[in-house]
Amino acid sequence: MTGFDRFRCAARAAHLFALFVLGAFILVGPVGTSRADDPVFRIEFNDGKVTPQRLEVPASTRFKLELHNAGKTPAEFESRELRKEKVLGPGVSSFIVIRTLDPGEYDFFDDFHPNAPPAVLIAK
Amino acid sequence: MGGQLGNIAFVIWRESVEALLVIGILNAWLVRQQDIARRGQVFLWAGVVAGLLLAVALGTALLLFGDSLEDDAQQAYQTGAMLVAAALIVQMVFWMRKHGRTLKRELETSLQQAADRSNWWGVFVLALIAVAREGSETVVFLYGTLSAASYASASLAGPVMAAAIGFGLALATYYLLQVGSRVLSWRVFFRITEVMLLVLAASLLVNGIDNLVGLGALPPLSGRLWDSSAILPDSGPIGGLVGALTGYRARPYLLQVLVFALYWGIIYWALYWSRPQAKTA
Repeated sequence: MTGFDRFRCAARAAHLFALFVLGAFILVGPVGTSRADDPVFRIEFNDGKVTPQRLEVPASTRFKLELHNAGKTPAEFESRELRKEKVLGPGVSSFIVIRTLDPGEYDFFDDFHPNAPPAVLIAK
Repeated sequence: MGGQLGNIAFVIWRESVEALLVIGILNAWLVRQQDIARRGQVFLWAGVVAGLLLAVALGTALLLFGDSLEDDAQQAYQTGAMLVAAALIVQMVFWMRKHGRTLKRELETSLQQAADRSNWWGVFVLALIAVAREGSETVVFLYGTLSAASYASASLAGPVMAAAIGFGLALATYYLLQVGSRVLSWRVFFRITEVMLLVLAASLLVNGIDNLVGLGALPPLSGRLWDSSAILPDSGPIGGLVGALTGYRARPYLLQVLVFALYWGIIYWALYWSRPQAKTA
C-alpha cells in the first residue's frame, strides 16, 4: 500500500462514514420522548439573567427542563456537561429532557449573553 | 450598554467563524488550482447559498415553533450534521493533500476527473452544513436582537452597528485567509490551515459524540475524569470559543477522552506514518 493509496483509503472511509451517518439519521428520523410522568423544572431567561441560579434536581432520574425566554433578546441554553443546547427567540418557550445525571453540580449558561455568570444544576 | 453591543458583535463573529474557516480555506485552495479544479468553486458557493437559505428556513422554524419542536429530533439532526461535517472535513484535508502533491499528473486523467466530480458534491454538502448549522442560530439571534431594540423603542442604530461590526469581523477573518494564502508560501499556508481544519473536525466529532450520549445512544463510560475548569473553563467568552473550536472539555468523561485520542491517533497515523512509504513507492 503506497502512501497515496492510504490517503485515498482514509478519504474514502471518511466519505463512507459521512454517507452512513446521513442515511442513519434519515432512517431513524424524529424520535419523540417526552413522557407525561417526568418531573418538570422551570428555568427562565431574561436578557442574560438566568432564574433560578441554583436548581436542585433528582439524580439518576429522567426529568424535563422547561425553558422560558421572558427577555426581549434571544437566549441560548447551553451546557457542555449536560450535552444540551437550545436556542430560544424572545418570548419563546421550549423544553429539554435529561435522561439521567450522576449526583454533582452541572454548569449551564446563556450562550447569547456570554458575559453573564453561569447558573448551576445540582443533582442529588 | 457598550458591553451589550460588544456582546452582539462577538456572538455574530463567533457563530460564523467556523463556517468561514471551512469556506475560506477551501476557496483559497481552489483559487490556486488550474482550471479543472477551479470548477469546484461553483459547488462551494452553491453550497454556501443553499446553506444560507436553509439557515433562514431553520431559524424561522425555531422562532415560530420553538415550543413544539421535538427536543430529541432537533438534537438528532444537529448531531447528524456535526458528524457528517467532521467526516467531510477530514476527507477534504486528505483530498487536498493528495492533490497538492500530484496535481499535474493526476488532473490530466479522466478517471481522476470522475473521482473529483463526486468530491465536488462533498464540497457542496460541507459548505451547506457549515453555513446552515450555526447560521440558523445567527438568524434567531439577529432577529431577536433587532426586534428587542425596536420594541424597547430604543434606537436601532446601536444594535445594527454592532451586528454590522460582527459581520465585518467575520469577513475580515475570511479575507485574512485569502491574503494568507497569497502571502505565505503554499506549503506553509496549507500546513497551518490543515491543522486548523483537523482541529475543527475533532471538535465537531467530540460535540457529536456528546450529543449521542445525551440522546442515550452511547454510554459515557465514566463520570468526570478530572476538572481543569480552574485553569481553562469550557464556558464563557474565551473558554467557550476554545471549546467550540477544538473540542476541549474541562470535565471530560471516558468516552470523550477515548474518541479524542482515537481520532488524533488515526490522523497521526494517516498523515505521518505513511509518509516514508510514499517516498519509496
